[in-house]
Parts: sequence; C-alpha cells; structure tokens
Amino acid sequence: MQIHIHRNGANEGPYSPEQVRQMLAAGHLQPQDLAFHAGLASWTTLAALMGELAAATPPQAAAADNRDMEYQVECRPDFAFLTVHIPGGQTLKVEASAMATMSTNLRMKTKVRGGLSRFLTGESLFLNEFTAEGGPGEIGIAPGSPGDLEHVYLDGNTIFLQSSGFVASGMGVQVDSKWQGFKGFFSGESLFLIRCSGKGDLWFNTFGAMIPVDVTGDYVVDTGHIVAFTEGLEYEIGKLGGLKSLFFSGEGLVCRFRGEGRVWIQTRQLPSFAWWTYPFRPTKN
Amino acid sequence: MDITIVQGPGSAAARVMLQAGEGITTEGGAMIAMSSALHVETTTRKRDSGSIMGALKRLVTGESIFLNHYTAHGRAGEVYLAPTLPGDMLHHEIDGVPLLVQAGSYVASAPSVEMDIRWQGFGKAMFSGESAFLIELSGQGPVVLSSFGAIYPIVVEGEHIVDTGHIVAFESTLKYQVVKAGGSWITAIAGGEGLVCKFQGNGTVWCQSHNAGSFGQALGPLLKPR
Repeated sequence: MQIHIHRNGANEGPYSPEQVRQMLAAGHLQPQDLAFHAGLASWTTLAALMGELAAATPPQAAAADNRDMEYQVECRPDFAFLTVHIPGGQTLKVEASAMATMSTNLRMKTKVRGGLSRFLTGESLFLNEFTAEGGPGEIGIAPGSPGDLEHVYLDGNTIFLQSSGFVASGMGVQVDSKWQGFKGFFSGESLFLIRCSGKGDLWFNTFGAMIPVDVTGDYVVDTGHIVAFTEGLEYEIGKLGGLKSLFFSGEGLVCRFRGEGRVWIQTRQLPSFAWWTYPFRPTKN
Repeated sequence: MDITIVQGPGSAAARVMLQAGEGITTEGGAMIAMSSALHVETTTRKRDSGSIMGALKRLVTGESIFLNHYTAHGRAGEVYLAPTLPGDMLHHEIDGVPLLVQAGSYVASAPSVEMDIRWQGFGKAMFSGESAFLIELSGQGPVVLSSFGAIYPIVVEGEHIVDTGHIVAFESTLKYQVVKAGGSWITAIAGGEGLVCKFQGNGTVWCQSHNAGSFGQALGPLLKPR
C-alpha cells in the first residue's frame, strides 16, 4: 500500500505504511494531515487510517517485536536512547561505558569477552554485565555517537555488526568477532565484524539514521555505511563502476550483497565527518 | 523518477527510485547504497554536454570535480543519497525558474536539468567569505539539495536579508547583493555578522538553520593541530 499525503498545500510521498507510522511517531506528520491510497474514494485524515496502518505493518516487523525484556527507544533517529527493564535475577550485556543511568539494585560486572579477538575488533575489550538483584531494575543506555538504534530478536539466526555497532544484548546471545579476511583489506574500514548469534534481544546503533533494506538478489552499500546484515547474505568488497569511478567517484569501495536477507545502512558516517573538520584544525606553530 | 526524503531533519537521506531508462546525476561521494542493477559512470561534467571547462569551473567552486551518473538500464532501481554533515535535504522541482545553489548544498539533479557555474561577481565574491561561485540549475526536473541543520523557505516579496552562510538556494527571479550588516564596517565586524546577502524582488530563498563554517570554527580550536 502506497500512501499519498497532502499538507501545507503540497503533496508528499507516496510512503509505505511503515514510513508513515515512523513519520507520525517522529512528529513529521500530524494525525490531521490528509492522506490517500488506492481504493479510497477521496482524501481522508491520517487519524482515520490508523487502524489500517497498523494492519499493514509487514509481518517481518511484527516478528521483530518479539522480546525477552521490555525496552523503549526514545528520540530516534538523531539521539536514540535505550531504556531496558531487566527482570529480577536476569542479566543484560552492555557495551562498556554506554550506561547512562540505572537503578541502584543493578550490579555491574566487567567481563573480558573473546580475549584477543575482541581487542582486535577495535570494539572495547570489555562488555559489562548488569544483573538485577532482589527485584527488577532499569538501565538507560546511551551509545557514544548521536544516532539511531535498532532492536532485533535473535532466534537461532545470526547477524553481523560493524565493529562499533554493538550496544546491548541478552545473555542468550553469543557475541564474537569474526575475521573478515582479505575481502575487507582495501576498504579502509575496520577489518572485523561482530557476529551475534543464539537467542535473545540484540540492540545496535549507528551514526546518523538507520534504514533497513530487504535484499532480494543484489544490493550495493558504501562500506562506510554498513551497520549490520543477516547471515546468509554473501558479501564482497569491490569497486563501483569503471576504473575512473574507482579513483574519482568519491565513493571509495562498496560492498555487494547477494542473496536474501536484510542490510541496515546508516545515513551518515563518522570518518567523513571527522575528515570534514580537518581544514578547521589549528596548524602547528 | 520518484524522490523521497527520509529521516529528516537531522540525518536526512534521499531515496531516488529510477524507472527503466531513467537516470540521475549526483555530486561525487553522495551515494550511500543502491540497487546493483544501476549503471554508474563518473565524468567531469554533465552527461553528454559541456567541456573540460566544466571541470575547471567545478574545481574553483570548491566542489568535487567529478559527477556520478546513475542510470537504470533495462530495469528499475533505487539509490540512496546523503551528505556528510548532519542536516536535512530538499527535493525541489525546477519548472522554468532557474535555481541558484550554494556550492556545498548541491546533491543531485535529473539529466533534464542544466548545470552551470555562476560567478558571483568580483565585489560580491571577494567579501562574502563563502564560495565565490554559485551553481545555477535550470530547465525542468527534480533537484536534491542538502543543508547543515534544518531547511526553511522564506518567501521574499520586496526585500529581505540573509546571512551568506545560511543560504542554501534561491530562485533566480531574485536580485541579490552582498552588503555589510549594519551601517558601518565597525558594526558589521564587531557585531559578528560580517556580510549579508540582500535579496530584492519576488521569489523563494531556502535557508539552513546552521552555518557549517561557524560550527567548524567553534570546533577547530578544540582539535589537535595538523
């Protein structure tokens, strides 16, 4: 279903029901804005379409709503902040130094995970484990970079994250780094991916907003904009277009995904932003 | 061609859906993801037109010299475009009235849109502190622009003043003049406003909520010397 919006005297869209829901949630659309989709006799308000929008949410997104722990993500997509409610006696793994606030009954334990391999991912060596003692507790988690945050429920499937993407997970999720091999050697990106498998909640973050892309067949993503992807997709680092494009397109190297699965991309990337500051840096002497 | 701006205003990206046979020209480095069916070509000029002068002109604007052309051969495809800095994007349909765009804000345009470089003029350029050139987009078709921070349109009827660092684009029906803010050089400089752009006539100016140069200058002293 494609939804057309009319507001402020102009037409917008069409958008998918999921996009409309997100834009409503973010305040970019208002319930009183006019909407239309094929099958309707005339324009109506978005408020009148709420039921339909919920029903049109794709089943995949519904499956992603599975969770072991209750959580909220607020202030998406620019300043996403995660709050997880940990039931009494249960434990949550959290990226080191990402805890912003917590209940006093949460006990923190620092774990070294995976030894050297985690050290090499460039991800901090430590994951902290927060256990709720004597009753439930709440933890507020803020990733280092401003950006977006996504939750996925793993149920035997596997997701690869770029090395700085991990935020938190349930204890049933195994977090390992995976050698990417020479495929990534020339990309200028981190050589390592974090492999998350098992069963339970997983949260990961981006710099900039996150866009999930369902791949059927082939899809190309700039290496600096990959956040995560599902196992089963084949991936290969390559150049974009002809030889001239390799040197002059400004696109660097790209990752080609093949098969069926999902790739999450980010709308900004930290290295480009850091490079942008270069001319503003003071010169020596 | 169908263009949707998603995730604005802080982290906007433009999703461009191309039907078979359609194409789009983008600033080098703007592509973040795309269907692999799209054909990519890198040139120094707008496709099938212009000359080496185009590249030289692009060089002096401070823009990337190279443009990428994405074409859907045979079957439809999509490309996501995004700028480097946090901020919003604008999808505008040019229909006869040319648009003058601040060099750093150009992201993409349809092949039916002509691109040219317009020199701001000696006096205007020397003192504006911004790029001495503007990109002129004319003809017909969609263009995509980006801003640092949010974008807001101002409809000018008569006269209006905008700080040079806050201009994203404006319609060519407007005459513009770079002038001192305030009556004298002392107030212009001491007031921190320097030079401003005075628009005259009828038309729309799109402004950005923040000035990237000011942000860079605020950040610079905190960074390690290079």
